[in-house]
Amino acid sequence: MASRSTELLKGTVDLLILRTLELGPRHGVAIADRIAQITRNAFVIKPGSLFPALHRLEAEGFILGRWGETPEGRRARVYTLSGAGRKQLGIEKRNWARISVAMGQVLEAE
Amino acid sequence: MRNLARVRAMFRSLLRRKQVERDLDEELRSALQELRERYESRGLPPEAALRAAQLDLGHIDLIKEEVRSRGVAHTLDTSWQDLRQGWRSLVRTPAVAAVIVLIFAGGVGSATAIFSVVNSLLLDPLPYQSADRLLFVWQDLTRAGYPRAPLAGPELEDLRQRGTLFSGFGGIWANTVALTDGTEPELLRSGLVTPDFFEVLGATAMLGRTFRPGDDAPQAPPAILLSHAVWKRRYSADPRLVGTRILVNGRPTTVIGVMPESFALLLPQDAAIPDDQQAWVLLGRNMLKLPRQQQFLRVVGRMKPDVQLADAQREVAAIGERVGREFPEYGRDGAKFYAVGLQADATREIRPALLGLFAAVCLLLLIAGVNVAGLLITRATARHHDTVIRIAVGAGRARLFRQCLVEGLILSVLGGGVGLLVARGMVTALVSVRPPALARIDATTLEMRVFAFAALLAILWGVLFALAPLTQLFRTTVLGVLRGSGHGTAGPAANRIRSGLLVFQVAISSVLLITSGLLAKGFYELQRASYGFNPEHVVTFKLSLAGSRLRDPAPIAVFSTELRRKLAAIPGVTAVGATSHLPFDTVPNWGSPYLPAHESDETRAGLADARSITPGYFNAVKAELVEGRWFTDADTYDSLPVAIVDTLLASRLWPNDSAIGKQVKAGPATTGRTDVMLTIVGVVRHLRHREVTRDVREQIYFPAPQSLRNPMAYVIRSDIEGSDVIAAARSIVAKLDPTLPIYDVRPLASYAVHARATRGFTMVLALAFAASALILTTIGIYGVTANNAAQRCSEFGVRYALGAQPRQVAGLVFRDAVVLAAVGAAVGCFVASAAAQLIRMQLYNVGPNYLPAYVVGAGTVLIAAVLAAWIPAWRAARLSPLDSLRAN
Repeated sequence: MASRSTELLKGTVDLLILRTLELGPRHGVAIADRIAQITRNAFVIKPGSLFPALHRLEAEGFILGRWGETPEGRRARVYTLSGAGRKQLGIEKRNWARISVAMGQVLEAE
Repeated sequence: MRNLARVRAMFRSLLRRKQVERDLDEELRSALQELRERYESRGLPPEAALRAAQLDLGHIDLIKEEVRSRGVAHTLDTSWQDLRQGWRSLVRTPAVAAVIVLIFAGGVGSATAIFSVVNSLLLDPLPYQSADRLLFVWQDLTRAGYPRAPLAGPELEDLRQRGTLFSGFGGIWANTVALTDGTEPELLRSGLVTPDFFEVLGATAMLGRTFRPGDDAPQAPPAILLSHAVWKRRYSADPRLVGTRILVNGRPTTVIGVMPESFALLLPQDAAIPDDQQAWVLLGRNMLKLPRQQQFLRVVGRMKPDVQLADAQREVAAIGERVGREFPEYGRDGAKFYAVGLQADATREIRPALLGLFAAVCLLLLIAGVNVAGLLITRATARHHDTVIRIAVGAGRARLFRQCLVEGLILSVLGGGVGLLVARGMVTALVSVRPPALARIDATTLEMRVFAFAALLAILWGVLFALAPLTQLFRTTVLGVLRGSGHGTAGPAANRIRSGLLVFQVAISSVLLITSGLLAKGFYELQRASYGFNPEHVVTFKLSLAGSRLRDPAPIAVFSTELRRKLAAIPGVTAVGATSHLPFDTVPNWGSPYLPAHESDETRAGLADARSITPGYFNAVKAELVEGRWFTDADTYDSLPVAIVDTLLASRLWPNDSAIGKQVKAGPATTGRTDVMLTIVGVVRHLRHREVTRDVREQIYFPAPQSLRNPMAYVIRSDIEGSDVIAAARSIVAKLDPTLPIYDVRPLASYAVHARATRGFTMVLALAFAASALILTTIGIYGVTANNAAQRCSEFGVRYALGAQPRQVAGLVFRDAVVLAAVGAAVGCFVASAAAQLIRMQLYNVGPNYLPAYVVGAGTVLIAAVLAAWIPAWRAARLSPLDSLRAN
């Protein structure tokens, strides 16, 4: 189930990451944990796609990575949402809303 | 904001690549550690925990590669790799690479050179304000043998009064003026212009002003406008000269202005207005009132803004038609005026030659392109195996495509760079051999437009032909090749293409060689052609009496006789004479009307070139007396008016009778006396004065004392060095009258050379292009043959092993190439005979099917092909059987 969802929702990884970072700065593993926790393990983002996505978002200027410490005191790269990222999140949220409404209509249509 | 962040991230990843790599590495390590600890805290043993964490994280290197491939650095990185790889693969076969670059350079260079000529002649507007508005007005007198004739003064007035679509018409007539101030008298090539001429042309003075209406009022003081060159040389570029008076033809004349250095009169070549005029004075108003039969004015008109060319042309034609009906002087035939764009008309004669050249260069480019493509294809074939393996291990076709492209670009840049140098050299060479009709090539420089053309050409061409090998690549199936021979030999399709290319280029070079051979033969014939006179061993100089004390016929005749007597006394001199117009000279010489004595209808007057000559002139140029006698010193101003006519006139008027003793009536302006009846005393074989290739216009000669002209050109035939004759002549003239200017000191032959120049230029160019084509083809044949031989190396080994003799193996290599070349040459002969029909006009005394040109042309290509194929064949013959088997 999870793997099929990942297939389908490849494009939504960005949205999930941005949304997660909106709640506060986090490092890589914690971001994946948080997504799994909120979606009750519906979406499990493997590190293999998480880290490339993080670096891509950083290159796009949506998030900022800085070396910091995890709550456990481990040295890790902690990501923060940038202003541009916040704007992008708004755009993607609206996009998603449109898609889910549209999908809903398709599915409910007789 | 976002873009800023992006740029920052880009720079970070570019400039601090190590740092970024380290960060990524550490981040992933840290994540691995965290996951491992998490598993350990769930009670897994350390090793199992590590494995589970590794499983979660996936392959670290793959993640890294994934991250990297998104960065800018990556893109640059692979491009740099492509570049290095392309360079390495070119360097691996340096001979091929060098040949390609050279072919490239030759092709791009010659195309650029010709383009820069086309650019300066056809594309660059004439250097006048809104030059596209300017028209040149001709009169069609085909009936009298002059399809492009000038206008008469009243005709200019007609255009001015009736033209509604023009803002003005200006007229000019070429003449000479003598500067008689200072120590050294000097004769200047001058233009006699209407006051508005420069305004119509759209040219302004650098100092002072040009003429303006009113300057020609009867009481206005005489004025002169000087060229920059004269102002600089004779007056040391003195800016205070403007407004002062100088002596012109002995009259004090005000200098009203100096034209800029860049100013040149670029009128049509056959308008016979030299483009290096040195001074301009006004046409007297009375000259505009001369009779309508005296057509001498070259007229330039300026269209009003927004007027269409076709409308303006229609108006000029309509004016001519109306004028022709209104005035009885034109007779039944009326008058035909026509206007042509000034620039289009100036390049009228050059345009076909230039277009021909362009076509030749395109052929050359094609040959060069075919060779480059051929070399690249053979190289790709040789590397086929290598390529297939790369496809097999996963190289994307996009990547291979990119590599081909990069190789092509490297070749383009190298070839284009060298090509520009070649172009520069060719332009310099072209300028040095250009005929006067192409004077504007002087302005040719390798400017930006030309540079852009070359760059575009090189890159387009390089990319296009570099991609040629891909046609082969994309047909490749990995299995097919790997399963096949394993030797990577070219398939039959590729061989057919290569053979086709070879035949094609041999054919093209045969065509170029054959046609240039025809042109060369025509030019040779031209040089041996009889002009009706012999220009060798004759020197000429001109002498003007304007401004001197001599004004009346009697003293001038005495002076002339005395001067000729003294010149003839120079040791080594065999004949001396003088004429008003030298053969092929640019001094304006408009035909004069004449009427046979029994004819009374003035409109049936013929036009003939009229020349005034002294006794001795025909001897000095070695003209042939057909009947009657030459002029003698007994033909004076007071004696019976006489004339010598040429064979054309004599045979037309009296086809079955002797011309001697017959009479013609000369027009009023012909001899300077009104309606003189001339008795013909001699008939001379027609002299080619105007065109070297055909007899143009009938000729009438008058004895100088009966038809005074100034200046006169003295013609001296001698057995000694021309410069010695001139030195002696100078001192003789100086002793007679030190104020007389001697000028235009030249061998008579130089006038003839001048007249042949355009054809010579065409021939030189054709030969140059044929030679380049031959070289390119030879390289191409060599390349193809050598590559074929190299590919068949192992086959040869087997043949040797089976007992083949070196001669037989060499024969295999040789035969293929020579057979293809023979086919190409045959095709070339066929095409050339069609092409020769097109250039028939350029061929003098040579039929388009002149066999030796074909034999020599095709033979040369074949010999080149044999030589080019010989080297690889010889090499194949020297292969040791073992080496050739080992080669693969």
